[in-house]
Amino acid sequence: MNAIELHKKLEENAGLLIFGILFVSAIGGLVQVLPSIFQESLKTPTATTKPYGAVTLTGRDIYIREGCSVCHSQQIRPLLAEVKRYGPYSRAGESVYDRPFLWGSKRTGPDLHRVGGKFSDIWHRLHLINPRDVVRNSIMPAYPWLAEQAANADGAIKRKMRVLQKLGHPYSDEEIEAAPAALEGLTDIDALIAYLQILGTSRSPGDTP
Amino acid sequence: MAATELKKNEVYHDRVVTALVIFSVIWIIVGMSAGVYIAAELVWPTLDFGEQWLSFGRLRPLHTNVVIFGFGVSALMGTAFYSVQRTSHVPLYAPKLAWFCCFAWQICILLGGISLLAGWTSSKEYAELEWPFDIAITVVWVSFGIVFFGTIAKRKIKPIYISNWFYGGLIIVIAMIHIVNSLAIPVTLSKSYSVFAGAQDAIVQWWYGHNAVGFLLTGGFLGMMYYFLPKQAERPIWSYRLSIVAFWAFTYSYIWAGPHHLIYSSIPDWVQSLAMVMSIVLLAPSWATMINGIMTVSGASQKLKTDPALKFIVLSLAFYGLATFEGSMMAIKSVNVVSHFTDWTVGHVHSGALGWNAMITYGTYYFLVPRLFGTTLYSVKLANIHFWLALAGTMLYVLAMWGAGVSQGLLWLSLDEIGELSFSFKDIMASMPPYYALRLVAGLIFLTGTVLMAFNFYMTMKGRRTVQVRPPIVTSHWA
Amino acid sequence: MKTVISSWLLLRLLFRPAAVFEELADTQPEPHIIFFRYFVWLSIVPPVFAYIGASNFGWRLGAAEPLFVPAGDLMIISMAYFFVLLFGFVSTAIIAQWMASTYGARHSLGVHFALVTIIAAPLVVGSVMHLFPHVFLNVLVLIPTLIWSMYLLYKGLPIVLKITPERGMLMASALIGYLLVAAVSLLGLTVALWGRGIGPSIGV
Repeated sequence: MNAIELHKKLEENAGLLIFGILFVSAIGGLVQVLPSIFQESLKTPTATTKPYGAVTLTGRDIYIREGCSVCHSQQIRPLLAEVKRYGPYSRAGESVYDRPFLWGSKRTGPDLHRVGGKFSDIWHRLHLINPRDVVRNSIMPAYPWLAEQAANADGAIKRKMRVLQKLGHPYSDEEIEAAPAALEGLTDIDALIAYLQILGTSRSPGDTP
Repeated sequence: MAATELKKNEVYHDRVVTALVIFSVIWIIVGMSAGVYIAAELVWPTLDFGEQWLSFGRLRPLHTNVVIFGFGVSALMGTAFYSVQRTSHVPLYAPKLAWFCCFAWQICILLGGISLLAGWTSSKEYAELEWPFDIAITVVWVSFGIVFFGTIAKRKIKPIYISNWFYGGLIIVIAMIHIVNSLAIPVTLSKSYSVFAGAQDAIVQWWYGHNAVGFLLTGGFLGMMYYFLPKQAERPIWSYRLSIVAFWAFTYSYIWAGPHHLIYSSIPDWVQSLAMVMSIVLLAPSWATMINGIMTVSGASQKLKTDPALKFIVLSLAFYGLATFEGSMMAIKSVNVVSHFTDWTVGHVHSGALGWNAMITYGTYYFLVPRLFGTTLYSVKLANIHFWLALAGTMLYVLAMWGAGVSQGLLWLSLDEIGELSFSFKDIMASMPPYYALRLVAGLIFLTGTVLMAFNFYMTMKGRRTVQVRPPIVTSHWA
Repeated sequence: MKTVISSWLLLRLLFRPAAVFEELADTQPEPHIIFFRYFVWLSIVPPVFAYIGASNFGWRLGAAEPLFVPAGDLMIISMAYFFVLLFGFVSTAIIAQWMASTYGARHSLGVHFALVTIIAAPLVVGSVMHLFPHVFLNVLVLIPTLIWSMYLLYKGLPIVLKITPERGMLMASALIGYLLVAAVSLLGLTVALWGRGIGPSIGV
């Protein structure tokens, strides 16, 4: 039976066709995706990478909510010009606590992976409330509502940290219990700035690019 | 198997097709308007008026989700239901379930869209909808599969026609990638944490993201083409053998291309290189299908005098060729190093989305809508105007984004004589608004054409009902 | 059938395209004559304008200062531009000839060379913008010239190749498919070569 005749069998049997499609389409994922799920080096944090605390975790979730990763990447490529502009290139071990990853796929604004410590808190505050106050030709939207909403408005911080603990983040129970107090009196903008200020600080300027 | 007599009242279930077509047109106008709005925001950032729900970061996923899942899936579901019945010579299996698919899907999109504006998002591209919607989508999708494959199972023609393989591939592969990529632990109704983290999440996300493009936006619409093009051209597919080889090569190779979204990132290098190679390999089955389409339509020219639909389909194939070639090319590391993160990627997406997806659907609809209502199109002239608007809008969009993207990419990397960065990021981006303004004009042109089409269809449908068509009386097709 | 085309053909194209198409339909030009008498000269124009513009004003890609490239490099880039235009011209004509049998169009290479020359003519006119090499302005000028070229393509192809307007529409669209792919390949090739060191330095 030649190939065409063999194929006729496939065309005349819906079950075989479904199985065929599933089998053929699964191969790529099994080879490319599955091994990386088990690859230790992609799950091991670098020596200086820590899980997000209550405040920075809240800030990160605000970053996600406002769609910041739509315009800002967090992945510095190992290219000369990129390392000069942004700092040491991104390592896999730095994003092991990132659920989901926020590497982004577009730079309408600059990469933020190592923005931590580069600007003062007050700069970030002014910039977020109205970007054009500090960067004249900026096309970034303004986020005035961040200064008005309480950081733990949904009261979910303990639940968040417990879920992450289940997923393997090394939080202690005391840390989780203390979380709501850490957010007391803070607004969204405080939490977001705290998050931005730790970004990329697991590598310092003196390290190899 | 004995010959089966048709019941006197048995007709194809086409009213659900009409409903899906109408919803898809509503969504494309809503989704494109959102697109035009965010294009305007990139020129005038204060267009959000300080409102959260108008903010760029919230509207962008609204735009992508409404056009892909609102327009794209509704169009694919509708045309799949239409064509699977006719290629099987039986009415839909479980028609009530088909109606459920239709309305449940629209509710998912409506509520999902509102949730995106409220800031409920996972941030994972084309999978932004949070976990309640992920579950709802899965339920509807499984139902879609049941109706589709159920109809095939009770078919009266033995061989399964090729358009059904592509629609089948759409259903199966999207189910697989959606379920895996959506794996997350819920925290509250609006928030969950991905089971995957960091680099692993990146690989899973782009295995999903690329294959959502591959099997929904490419494969599904190829299914549309394989049914509707021969119908319109009134000729069979040029090479049946080619279509078989191309289908399996396509289904196999597309899956590997995902990590080309992660070139020079911190995922393993072997995964990146493999993705690059397979992205180039993928060009062969893509183009084989395109050639099949072009050669099939090449003999159909007499119809063009009165039929605007074929014009759209022919040009959609040209843009399909462009987009697939461009994609493979941009996956090459030495090109990607300049194109990644730039507007060139956005241009590439839209040459496919406008030039291929929108145009092939418009061509199909100009054929399908009059047929569904047993009449002729209200205005061929308007359809011809739409054609030129669609072509102009697409080309202007692509040109603007090529200009912006290549400039950005090269300037970001530019070093001066002493090896230092030549330009600051903000100076580079400050020169982009003219391109963004051009792109806004392009979007407006394309949207205008689409609105003309919607009006044309409204006038065609007005005062009429979906016609009832009986499947042909069949003596045994089974040997 | 005539084999000679009047030397003023291209000038008349600007004012009376329909007459030019009709004339070409009745002519069987020799490919090498079209190439050497018309196309080579047209292809020299854009690179010359680009060289003059770049050496006097520098490339302006939008950001702060214009980029000045050394004269020697500019000469090489201009010559490369010239050869790319020649390649584009010849390849498009050959692809069109290859497509001709599918659409029942005229097959002679010479008439396809002539057709491509006509379609390319507006782009040569538009290349005057290279005298001020601001990328966005050049893109802006490219838009009407492209519209004009495409108009000539859709209008002229069926007349010159003696097929019905409907078949012409199909063949023209297929040719646009090739042109789009060629354009994007050029983009990709330029960018890839640039990263390899051909052009002002980029830090990859």
